[in-house]
Amino acid sequence: MKSRILINISHRNYGFILILTIKLYICHQKIKNTMLKMILSGFLIFCLGLCLAQEVPNVSITTLNGEKLNVSKIDSSTPVVMSFWATWCLPCMEELTTINEKYEDWQKESKFTIYAVSTDDSRTTSKVKTVVKSKGWPYTILLDPNQTLKRALNINSIPHVILVHKGKIVYSHVGYSAGDEDELIKKIKECNSIH
Amino acid sequence: MRHKSISIVLLFFSIKSFCQLSVNLESNSQYYIDDNKIKLSENEADQRFRSNNYLNVNYKLKNFTVGAQLESYEPKALLNYSPALTKTNLGTYFVNYNNEKAGIDITLGHFYEQFGSGLALRVWEDKQLGISNSLLGGKIKYTDPDQIVTLKALLGKQRFGFNLSDGVVGGLDAEMRLDSLMKVKDFRSSIGFSYVNKYEDNKENSLYPKNVNIYSSRLKMEYSKFALEFEYLYKTKDNIKQVSTLDPNNIFSGNAYLLNLSYATDRFGIIASLRRLENFNFYSQRDQIGNIYHNSVLNYVPALTKQYDYSLANIYVYQAQPRLAFLPQKKSGEIGSQFDIFYKIKKGTPLGGKYGTDLSLNISNWYGLKGTYRAYINNIRDYKTDFLALGEKYYSDQSLDIRTRLKDNWKIALVLINQFYNTYRTEETSGEVKAQTVVLDNIYRFSKSSVKLELQHQWAEGYHGNWAAGLLEYNFNKNWSFFINDLYNYGNPDKEKQMHYYTGGLVFRKNSTRIQASYGRQRGGLLCVGGVCRFVPESAGFSLGISTSY
Repeated sequence: MKSRILINISHRNYGFILILTIKLYICHQKIKNTMLKMILSGFLIFCLGLCLAQEVPNVSITTLNGEKLNVSKIDSSTPVVMSFWATWCLPCMEELTTINEKYEDWQKESKFTIYAVSTDDSRTTSKVKTVVKSKGWPYTILLDPNQTLKRALNINSIPHVILVHKGKIVYSHVGYSAGDEDELIKKIKECNSIH
Repeated sequence: MRHKSISIVLLFFSIKSFCQLSVNLESNSQYYIDDNKIKLSENEADQRFRSNNYLNVNYKLKNFTVGAQLESYEPKALLNYSPALTKTNLGTYFVNYNNEKAGIDITLGHFYEQFGSGLALRVWEDKQLGISNSLLGGKIKYTDPDQIVTLKALLGKQRFGFNLSDGVVGGLDAEMRLDSLMKVKDFRSSIGFSYVNKYEDNKENSLYPKNVNIYSSRLKMEYSKFALEFEYLYKTKDNIKQVSTLDPNNIFSGNAYLLNLSYATDRFGIIASLRRLENFNFYSQRDQIGNIYHNSVLNYVPALTKQYDYSLANIYVYQAQPRLAFLPQKKSGEIGSQFDIFYKIKKGTPLGGKYGTDLSLNISNWYGLKGTYRAYINNIRDYKTDFLALGEKYYSDQSLDIRTRLKDNWKIALVLINQFYNTYRTEETSGEVKAQTVVLDNIYRFSKSSVKLELQHQWAEGYHGNWAAGLLEYNFNKNWSFFINDLYNYGNPDKEKQMHYYTGGLVFRKNSTRIQASYGRQRGGLLCVGGVCRFVPESAGFSLGISTSY
């Protein structure tokens, strides 16, 4: 059954037909298993999500200087990267450090801005500024200590990167392993080429 | 039920076509099995398959956002989640109106909030810890057009499983930025005040306070490379517990001081955090004081110690000790400090190597409050503490983290940790532990794939004894990776417990979807996120985690 769904996912525009198919399928199969139901509804929603790009939520958080910033007002006429991180999250630090090393080269090739959204809560939020400075990161830092933006974007875990272009979230990526940054710059370039 | 859910999904789809819908699904399931060493306890063994599921939907239309979270713990919640979390139900729902121009943000329904550092009030959610402490009621936030003053007011009852806590919670918070008034170059400053009230009936005992209030004031200053943050809080008389029941004869006030100082310049930074807590936990329902599931918690009291990402460094984890108690132990709070130093050695220098080296040093020391405790006739109790004197040592650690690149595609980290853990005081059992841990972490990148190899060893006197651990993670490509992980407690004084805790699994990631399937053993102990911990028992079995959002 899974394979059947997966095949259909590639035809994004047929999402609606797909759902009807699955609905009929389920009606015939009388599935009693809760878990299977869960997985199925998960896949359904997954398919739906592919249909449309999400917008940036209407939420305000603060910059390192204490100024408020409504993220839906960020100018994304050129691609905007938002990386959700925390000082205690090793893969996040890894990712932002790696991007920093490539930042100059990337800037030469493409136009984009990076916001690093710290989800550090009050246990570590006072460390953010010091860490950023000592690492010499060029990113604009946003503070999201009670996960207001993270929750509004429905982000479950960090590291999590989203790419915003013209007000829409065009790419998102959860987790970080070495090399993921290449995918990110590829997507940035794609945005710029549409532009 | 099935038809209903499908119809809901269809409805989402049609709505999504017109407006702004975002959906998020998280599911964590486990099938517990018994192997030759680890068995599920008898009272839990009736359900071997357990699953926690969260479906969150947000819908935005102009200035309005509507959202809800459906939660399902079927057939039962994962081991050691709060017993209040059972079956399937609507967990949270809200309507929010945010008008940026007018500076008004109003929420009705369930909401999350934090005042200052959270010592007075923090309601938040952490699925891994089983914390979902949102308030159900109303919240209004106002910011003036120049962004000088921010005011917040809220009223509600706190979520407790799928029900509500007994107390009614009200809160006010005001924050004002002073920099525009002073106009000094490179200088920024703000002050803030909060007031939080919990009202709860006291029919059972007229001595119990109906109202418990927290008053707090805070100050922030930044000048050039220096920064200072100070917060002082006072809590009016509140119940305490003796062992697990409310003390019928005694109520006490509490207070807290928090000071952060930092200096940051290019490639160098130092931070000092100092904190003193005295009887400073805060619950929306008095009989929940000190409960292990974090039910009804209103404020946030994290341990101010370094949060490690390495498994062996997380065996002896300190948890903040804000409680006042006379039984089973006499203690009234904690006092201590944490220092962090970051330094980046320039590339091209002998120590920095070709790529530069990152050093970070963390030192923390936490003590009980020094004081005297008295009991009078009829169990009337009292105590006195010295303000800045250190009592018995609860925890200390020193750690050095060195990170560099050996080659263009090879990153390496060496971490050295020395810990002292007072088991008698923190876990209220007996003894103390001194542990030294070494971690060697490697990340090696090939052209399409990458490998992470982590080697760890811990020498410990007492408690679990010595450990060795290894983790190998191979990322085939940008979507697929697998890992194997083993923690071997070879030095446990109890021969029966000298065992391997191994796990192997497969991870799939694509866009914002992550699916992880694994099989293995979970070490029993504290599972901590952000300085708050949940106890998890030893277990073995299959687990499946799915998380996706758009």
